[in-house]
Amino acid sequence: MTAAAPAVALRQTAAMSKRSILALVRQPALVVPSIVFPLFFAALGTSSFGRATGLPGFPKVDSFLDFSLAGTIVQGVLFGSVQSGSALATDIENGFFYRLLASPTSRLGILVGRLMGAAAYGAAQTAFFTVLLIPFGLHVKGGVAGAVVMLVSGGLTAIAIAGFMAAMALRTGSSEAVQGIFPLVFIALFFSSAFFPRQTMSGAYRHIANANPISYLIEGLRDLCITGFTASACAKALLVPIGIMVISFSLALRSLAKRVAAQ
Amino acid sequence: MSTSHFSPTHLSAVRSSRALSARGMRNMRRLPSTFIPTLAMPIFQAIAFSGTFFAITKLPGFPTDRSINWYLPLAVIMGSAFAGVGLGFTTIRDIETGFFDRLRMSPTPRSALILGPLIMTWVRTVIVVTMVVIVGFGFGARLTGGVIGLLCLYVASIGLATVSAGWGLGIAYRFRDMRGAAIMQLTLFVVMFLSSAQTPLYVMTGWLHSVARVNPATNVLRLSRQGFLGEVTWNGVWGGLLALVGGSILTLTFAYRGLRGLERD
Repeated sequence: MTAAAPAVALRQTAAMSKRSILALVRQPALVVPSIVFPLFFAALGTSSFGRATGLPGFPKVDSFLDFSLAGTIVQGVLFGSVQSGSALATDIENGFFYRLLASPTSRLGILVGRLMGAAAYGAAQTAFFTVLLIPFGLHVKGGVAGAVVMLVSGGLTAIAIAGFMAAMALRTGSSEAVQGIFPLVFIALFFSSAFFPRQTMSGAYRHIANANPISYLIEGLRDLCITGFTASACAKALLVPIGIMVISFSLALRSLAKRVAAQ
Repeated sequence: MSTSHFSPTHLSAVRSSRALSARGMRNMRRLPSTFIPTLAMPIFQAIAFSGTFFAITKLPGFPTDRSINWYLPLAVIMGSAFAGVGLGFTTIRDIETGFFDRLRMSPTPRSALILGPLIMTWVRTVIVVTMVVIVGFGFGARLTGGVIGLLCLYVASIGLATVSAGWGLGIAYRFRDMRGAAIMQLTLFVVMFLSSAQTPLYVMTGWLHSVARVNPATNVLRLSRQGFLGEVTWNGVWGGLLALVGGSILTLTFAYRGLRGLERD
């Protein structure tokens, strides 16, 4: 390997990232659901559960909107990340992926480029939701520093989830199979503290929410919004997605290696 | 009553409707992937909503102390509504594969093209309601309004399945491809959630309260919850019945006119 090789691989990865971002910009229909639905649920939740903030076990919040921001962000990022995996599967289906393999492109760049595109979209969604909800009374107690951590967490979460989707796409080569995971993502979100605090749940449901890492990710983001910029909130908001990312990226790498070897 | 009182056209309509509904049943058996989500979704929704929002029953004045009693009828109603629009998907598939053109060229009465699949949708709905209610009882739901309360749930479900089937068919006849599927689902989803789906009207605040108060889906949900929130009262029933009858007339007319439009093109 020459000294220029890493720079070339980096340029290729950047080009792949740019391509995946451009695909989203050029086909807004692909991203609209991951923007509209979380906002719809945030608006619905704020009006439906506004009075629930006084219930025992509910954290001290100024409004349900402040409470729901974290759930809105994670919901949007999860939905958006499914799209990223689906796009990779479409590349496999229509043969573009194999044309890349036939070219002197870095194999890792194909995967990382796609994940970086997902990260950029995840961070953009986080920024969009936060800025859009401020005129409706959202107050981020963590301030600018807290918002920046939320943005980074949104990007990392996108990579973590898109990693699973990419693994599925590389394993099956079918966008339908990737879309088929969507209900699982939805279930994982629902069986967490995305919409209500774990402290207000009971029985088996509470045990599942306690074991679900998404609960802790959401609580980290939520604390940045409703409590302030604290070390514990930052740790939860950043370390949980990093942990998930390590697992999902390893799976995606293994699937990539298998697909390349089978070629 | 002897069948001799019916004209050959009526008999043909009955026979064709029966044949088309039987075809739908066979498809349900042969393509379980089209039916299983209709069943799985409400079961998931009943469990997930009652678990997530368990605490709202602690709000002062909440009509039940069991969250499953509040969310089970919602899940059943949503499942029925999606069973109804499922008919729209099936019709789009029939249009795309050309089967619908063959039906139109046959001497099948036009009313049977709507009535036959509608009967199948009612059967699907009854299966969905029964299964979800059984699972709901397993998760702690209790019937407070007796058999009449359960009957209200079935009436609300079949009625809403009819409304949504009419809507789905009307859209399918007009769009004639899968673009229509998103419109069918999205409109239904929005209408159902902008109602007392998640919380009672008195708990809501702001714009949602104003919308939910005039949304007919609130009346339908009130009817469906009659058996789970105390005694069945006429006050809780008539609004839902009116909404279902009115909605069915409107959407079935919409479907019939769409079918006529399809014939003309």
